This record gives sequence, structure tokens and C-alpha cells, in this order.
Amino acid sequence: MKDAGSSDLALFGTPARRIRLAVALVALLLLPFVASPFLLDLANQVLLAVIGALALMLLTGFAGLISLGTAGLLGAGAYTVGVLVREAAAAFWVTLPAAALLGAILGLVFGLPSLRLRGLYLAISTLGLHFVVVYLGGEYEAREALSTGVMIDPPSIGRFSLTSDIGWYFVLLAFAALALLISVNLKRSRTGRAWRALRERDVVAEALGIDVHRFKLLAFVVSATMTSVAGALFAYYRNFVSIDAFSLYLTVQYVAMIIIGGMGSIPGALLGAAFVMLFPYAIEAAAGFLPSRFGNVVFALDYAAFGVVMILFLLLEPAGLMGIWHRIRAAFAARRATSAPKSAPGSASGSAPGSAP
Amino acid sequence: MSPQLIANIVVLAAIYALVSAGYVLVYRVSHVLNLAHGELMMIGAYILVATAGLFSGNPILALLLAAVSGLVMGLVVYAVLMRWLTGEAVLAAVLVTIALGILLRGLSILIWTTQQFYPAAIFGWRNPPVHILPGVQISVASLAIVALTIIVYAALFLFLQFTAWGVRMRAAGQNPLLAEQRGIRLHAVYALAWGLSTFTASLAGMLLSLDSGVESTMATIGLKAFPAALVGGLDSLFGALVGALIVAAAEIAAIQFVNPLLSDVVPFLVLLLVLAVRPWGLFGSREQLDRV
Amino acid sequence: MTNVPQAAPLLAIDDLRVAYHRVAVALHGVTLRVMPQTIVALVGNNGAGKTTALRAISGFIGVDDARVIGGSIRFAGRRIENEPPHANTARGIVLVPERDKVFPNLTVAENLTVAATRRASSAERRRLDELVFALFPALAPLRARLAGLLSGGERQMLAFGSAIVCKPELLLVDELSLGLAPVVVDDLARRVRAIRRELGITVLLVEQNVGVALAIADYGYVIESGHVVLEGPAGELRGRPEIQQFYLGLATGNQVRRYRALRERPANGPGDRRQ
Repeated sequence: MKDAGSSDLALFGTPARRIRLAVALVALLLLPFVASPFLLDLANQVLLAVIGALALMLLTGFAGLISLGTAGLLGAGAYTVGVLVREAAAAFWVTLPAAALLGAILGLVFGLPSLRLRGLYLAISTLGLHFVVVYLGGEYEAREALSTGVMIDPPSIGRFSLTSDIGWYFVLLAFAALALLISVNLKRSRTGRAWRALRERDVVAEALGIDVHRFKLLAFVVSATMTSVAGALFAYYRNFVSIDAFSLYLTVQYVAMIIIGGMGSIPGALLGAAFVMLFPYAIEAAAGFLPSRFGNVVFALDYAAFGVVMILFLLLEPAGLMGIWHRIRAAFAARRATSAPKSAPGSASGSAPGSAP
Repeated sequence: MSPQLIANIVVLAAIYALVSAGYVLVYRVSHVLNLAHGELMMIGAYILVATAGLFSGNPILALLLAAVSGLVMGLVVYAVLMRWLTGEAVLAAVLVTIALGILLRGLSILIWTTQQFYPAAIFGWRNPPVHILPGVQISVASLAIVALTIIVYAALFLFLQFTAWGVRMRAAGQNPLLAEQRGIRLHAVYALAWGLSTFTASLAGMLLSLDSGVESTMATIGLKAFPAALVGGLDSLFGALVGALIVAAAEIAAIQFVNPLLSDVVPFLVLLLVLAVRPWGLFGSREQLDRV
Repeated sequence: MTNVPQAAPLLAIDDLRVAYHRVAVALHGVTLRVMPQTIVALVGNNGAGKTTALRAISGFIGVDDARVIGGSIRFAGRRIENEPPHANTARGIVLVPERDKVFPNLTVAENLTVAATRRASSAERRRLDELVFALFPALAPLRARLAGLLSGGERQMLAFGSAIVCKPELLLVDELSLGLAPVVVDDLARRVRAIRRELGITVLLVEQNVGVALAIADYGYVIESGHVVLEGPAGELRGRPEIQQFYLGLATGNQVRRYRALRERPANGPGDRRQ
């Protein structure tokens, strides 16, 4: 069961690792009590993005299947909530499973072309499906004359309803942790190995006796289900669904998360999600120093800067933030090795450097 | 179908064909799908706004200058960005074009805001409807688009078929390794393909802006023209022409008879249909599928 | 044979070592000389390192991350290892590849005109095209045909033709005879000698079919597992019993799989029975 991939984010590693993990966990649990409302909202957005980024990482980073359908799937999940709440006043224990189910079905639909198409053509077919989903949402809004989208009440059980940002933080943290657990387990399992074989070359995978079609569809279904649930949570969190939120730019942001984070790496998906979600705020802060002429077009500045950052990563650091991290660590290790040549080897380098491709 | 409807289809098909020629040129030569094509077309239109402002008294000069800029734009994109990705995975190159598209979108709003510009008004031109047949009228600029599309396609055909560089472009697309061994400089060929691609895209953007102005959403037309290229077969110029007609006819029929909201989705429905039935397109070569 | 020892070699390879992905070494110090206006054959079995040597000479282009890690390749006195292919073409080293040797969707005539001939006026280009049709008259009536529709032999002729249009000083030929009928191979062999005789072009043949190679060439090198194990004038090599036994398929029964293994066996082994 243990293979090279399991050293990646090993949950039960060395004692030092366990301590670091505990510290991180405590920090995550304490964060909402010290953060400002603005920071808390930011943290919640990052947690939402983490789910979608992990889902895309499973599909593209692990199984090598390119999808430009993330925004469409997020939109489908959000709209499931919107329509069910509006039409049937459904509660969240109905809408969330419904979103998951629709996600699974859409995953099957998005995945069907992958049985015949590869690479670029597959990406294009998912792009086509994106437009179909967006059209259906827009059509619903137009028919119901909802010029501003669908309002959604917060999820509630009895008299308790989830409205506080702190409450949301723990809910989203739980969902993100669940997504992380699913991703890590899938990566280590037989399924993860089959996906890796697919990514390398599906002809070879077939020769190895792997049911290529089954594992491709499985990747799409798992990924789409996770994405759709993230979309549903997004709708609840914002109290509101509008199809305008699910533009192609959103898809590009998610693709950027896995590129910038580091293709094929789970910690990369987390880093990438945080980077991409925090980026606009960094730009906004930077825009404060610019001439006021740029004040009302910060979003354009954000676009331009984001494009540049994506290009720089693609050209200069294809392994993303994880690539940079591994390099920094290697440099430190090298320095430590030269300054203290007698230190015991092994303990310093807990995980294999090759764990993130 | 009324004659007016047919005229509308022809005009829309001409727009799609003129835009999708650029997709085909770059794909055929370097197997890169340029998803920034729509944005590059939009920049071409904005450049016309700029040159029109500088030379409002001399429209010919302004148009010429904008057209040349369109050519230079592609050369620059290749030299600055795409050449570093030669020999890399095709998908990395496609992702770079997506990033470039976002960069250009942001830049264009920073420079030209989200306001709509009418270069025709700067020249003092009007764009009156013309009766081409009894009961059938289209704008002068639309007529110009149809004429220009025919000219561009004829010129591209002659160029690819009969000039040394045209043959080299075809050769490089088929077998880059052999082309390099026969002394063909791949970077030069690729740069030329990019230049011609943005040149034709700029022409389309310029004429569209003369017809109905330019604003920051023009890039969407570039994305909608992409299915036309794929329906015909990504490596076939003739296919792009036929694909443009099919997509335009489907789109206008859907708007007319079903639901105007379908406008944005019909090209992609056609695309999904083609991908399901014949993914290499009507006139494309089948081995394209295994390349990516 | 016709080797003039005091002349400078056109191509001089010394102690060449090539590795793939920085680790898998495919050539362990190969040394060979190609004198001007000779035909030299580099022969050996599949995987012996022939193609690697050829790629190193013609220039690597992203092929399995291969690099020259030691030794030198000199062309006309100049070092050329790890140069890009078009640079080597410009110097006068032109390859006739083993596979994908023509552009299938171009016509025969276009396949000739597409080559970026060095320092050639349009009049000279026309003369070169005519020269190709004179060398390979069978191609002349096929000018307008798509190269993808040609037979194997015609394709090989066209590959030679488009290489000649590049005005080579050194022609590298990867597997002249592979997949072709013996009659066609004999015809091609005559034409290769004609190319050398009439155009003064030096030829390096890389061949699996030792019989064919040594029939055309003046001088031969035998390569095994990345080492040159035997060299000499072609006629002499043809007469060597080891060559006959192992490469020319004249042996029966108890065959030796490697020349080197053979060399280590006592002479007059059971493999010689047939003589």
C-alpha cells in the first residue's frame, strides 16, 4: 500500500512532523477567534477554494485529464441550491446531497468525451459543457425574471441557523478537511496509482490491465462531485446565486491554482488556492499607491497582474510554489550539510524530494 | 428562410471565418491552440481607435497603420512568449495563451476603460444600411467584412499553396524535425504564423469596430469563432470556412426560431456535437487527435 | 582502398560518449573518420548505438534529452557537438532519416522546394531540382503527386533528392535499405555511388543490413553496445569470417550473438563449418 506518493503529506510521520502538524491544527482552530471579520471572510473564501482546487488537482494533477469545466460545475452546484430553495424551500440536508448527485451526473457527462478525446480536445469539450451549464442558469434567471440572481436563506436546523462567519469558518474547515482526507486517501490507494498510470500514458495503463475507461470516469465523477458541493456551499455562504459569478475567468483561476501551487501535489493545491484567493487583495493594497486614475479599475489591474503571474509560473517555475519550496529546502539542507557535516543523515530530510513531480 | 436571414447568416459566417482563420494558421503550423485570439482581435480594434485618433484626417493611413500593428503584434507575442515554449508540452503553451488573454483583457481596460469607442465616428464615416436585394439590407461595414473575408481566404490559400514560405509553413506543421533538418528555421516559420494570425484577427476586429464599435466584451466573439475552426477541422482553412457557415446558420436559426439567449451557447452545442461524432472535424486530418 | 592517409578527414569523431537523460550511456567512446568524397558505413545491430551516433552528428533536437557528454565531433575541422539541426544543415551536414523522411502532404516538387538551400539563387535552385530529377528519373513524372502516396522506394529517392537540394558536403543516411525490396536497394546503391562520383558528396551510411552497406561503402565500422569493435576497408571487412558468420547470415546452427564473444572463442569454432 505504501508507495512513493504516500510520503507526500504523510499524516503520521516523524515526531517533528507530528508536532508541526499539531501546531498547524491549533493555529487553524484558534484563527477565527483572533482574526478580524475581513480576514475571517478571506479565510472562508480560501477554504471554499481549497475544495475546488483539490477536486481539480485530483482530475488534472493526478489523472492528467484536463478540464476547463470548474466554473460550470461550481455554478451547477450553486444553482441546485438556488432552484431547490426557490422552488421547494428545500433544507440544506436536501440541497447538498442533491448538488453532490448532480455533480456526479455532470461528472459522468463531462467525462464521457474523455473516453475518446485527449489533451486539448478534452479541454475543449469541457469548455463547451461549461457554456451549456451557464446557458441553462441564465435561461432560468431570464424565465423567472431574476435580474439579480436567487436569494438563499442560511442553512438552519430547528432554531439554529448558520449566519456567523465563525460558524461558517468551522463548517468550511470541516468540508475542506474532508476534501483533503479524500484526496490524500485516493492518491495513496489503488485508484491513485491507476490515475498516475493514466497520466503517464493511457496506452501503457491499458497494457498493465487497468480499466482505463472506468478510472477516467471515476476521476471525473469524484472531482465533479466535490466541485459541485463546493459550489453549493458557496451559494449558502454568499446567501445568493447569480450565473454571472461563474464566468470562464473563474475556471482560469482554478486552473491557475493547481499550476501555481504545483501540478500533482496536494499541498500545492492548498498553497495555490490561498495564493489565488489572496492575490486580488494584494493587488488592491498595491493599487492604493497608484495614481487615482487606476482607482476604479482595480479589477483590470488584477486581471493584468494575474495574467503576468500565471505566465511567469508557466515559463519559469512549472513545478509551482511546491517547486520553489522544494528548492529552498534543498538549498537549506545543502548549507546545513556543509556547515555541520557530522550531523546524522536521514532525520533532516524526512520526505523524499521526488514526492512532488 | 427569408433572404434577409440568409444575408445575416452570411455576414456572421464571414466574421467567424475571418476570426477562425487565425486559430487554424497557428494550430496548423505549431499545434498550439491560441485561446488569447479573441483578446488579440480586440486589441487590434483598439489600436485602430488609437491610430484613428492620431490621424483622423487620413483614414487610409490610420487603417494601414493599425493593420501593420496587427501583424507586428503576433510577431511580438511569439518572440516574447511562445518561442520559449517550443518543444514543450502543447498544453503548457495553451495555458500560456489563456494567461495572455487575461493579461490583455486587463491591460485593455486599464488603457481604454470599459467605454465603447466608434472609430468610424472619428473618421466622420456613417455606416448606412445598403439594399443588396429587394427587402434585404446589410450595413456597409458588414458588406466590407464579407468582401474582406473572401480576399483574406483567397490570399491565404495562394500564400500557403504557392510561396516558398507558405510551403515551409505547411512542412513545419507536418514534421517539425524534418523541417529543421532541411534547414527551415522553425522559429521564423512559427513567428510568421503568429503574425499572420493576429493580422487577420486585427482586420476582423477593425471592421467589427467600424461596424458597431469596440468595447471590452469584444473578445467573446473570438471565443465563439473557435467552434467554427474546430467544426471544420483545426488544421484546415477550407474547413474553417465551412465550419463558420454551419455555426453561423445554427446560431441565427436558434436566435430567430427558438430563443435569443441561445446565441452564446449554440456555437458550443455545435462543437460538442462534432466532438461526439467526428472530433477531428469535417475536413481535418484524423491523426491530429493523437498529437495532443 | 582509396583512402588517402595524409588528407584531412571531413568528419572526425573522437572518443564520443552520449547519454540519454544524463544517465543512460548509449555510446562509450566511439572514434571514426570520414575522409572527403568517400562512402563510409557504420554497421551494427539494433540498439548498438548507430542511430545515437547519427543523431549526435546531425544535431539533437529534444530527442529523449540526449547529450554528448564527452569526446568531440569535428566537421571540416570545426567542433559541432550539441548544435541544433538547422545549424548543421547550414554547414553542409544533411540527413536522410530512417522514418518520416518526406512531408507526406506536400507534392514531390514541393518537397524539393521546401528545403532552405544555403546560398542558392533561384536559378541555382532550379538547377538543383533538375539535378535531382536527372539522378532519380523515376521521380520526374511524379512531380505533382503527394509524397504520402509514393511507394517506399520512391519515397527514399525523394528523401535523397530533398537532401541533395540542401547542397550537402556530408550526406548522412539512416537505414538505406530498411523495408525496401532487394531490386530497389540495388538501384539505390548504384545511385548513392553516383551521387558521390558526380557531385563529390561524402556519404556516411548507417545500416543494419551489413551486406548492403559493405557493398556500397569504401570503408566500414562495426559498432556493438556503443563500442566500435572492428573497422577496415569494406572489401576487407566483407572477407572477414566473423563478419560473414555473424552479420551476413552465412553461419548455421551454433551462432554467436556478439562479435566480441566470437573473438574470445577459439578459432575454427563449430560456427565455421559451412566454409
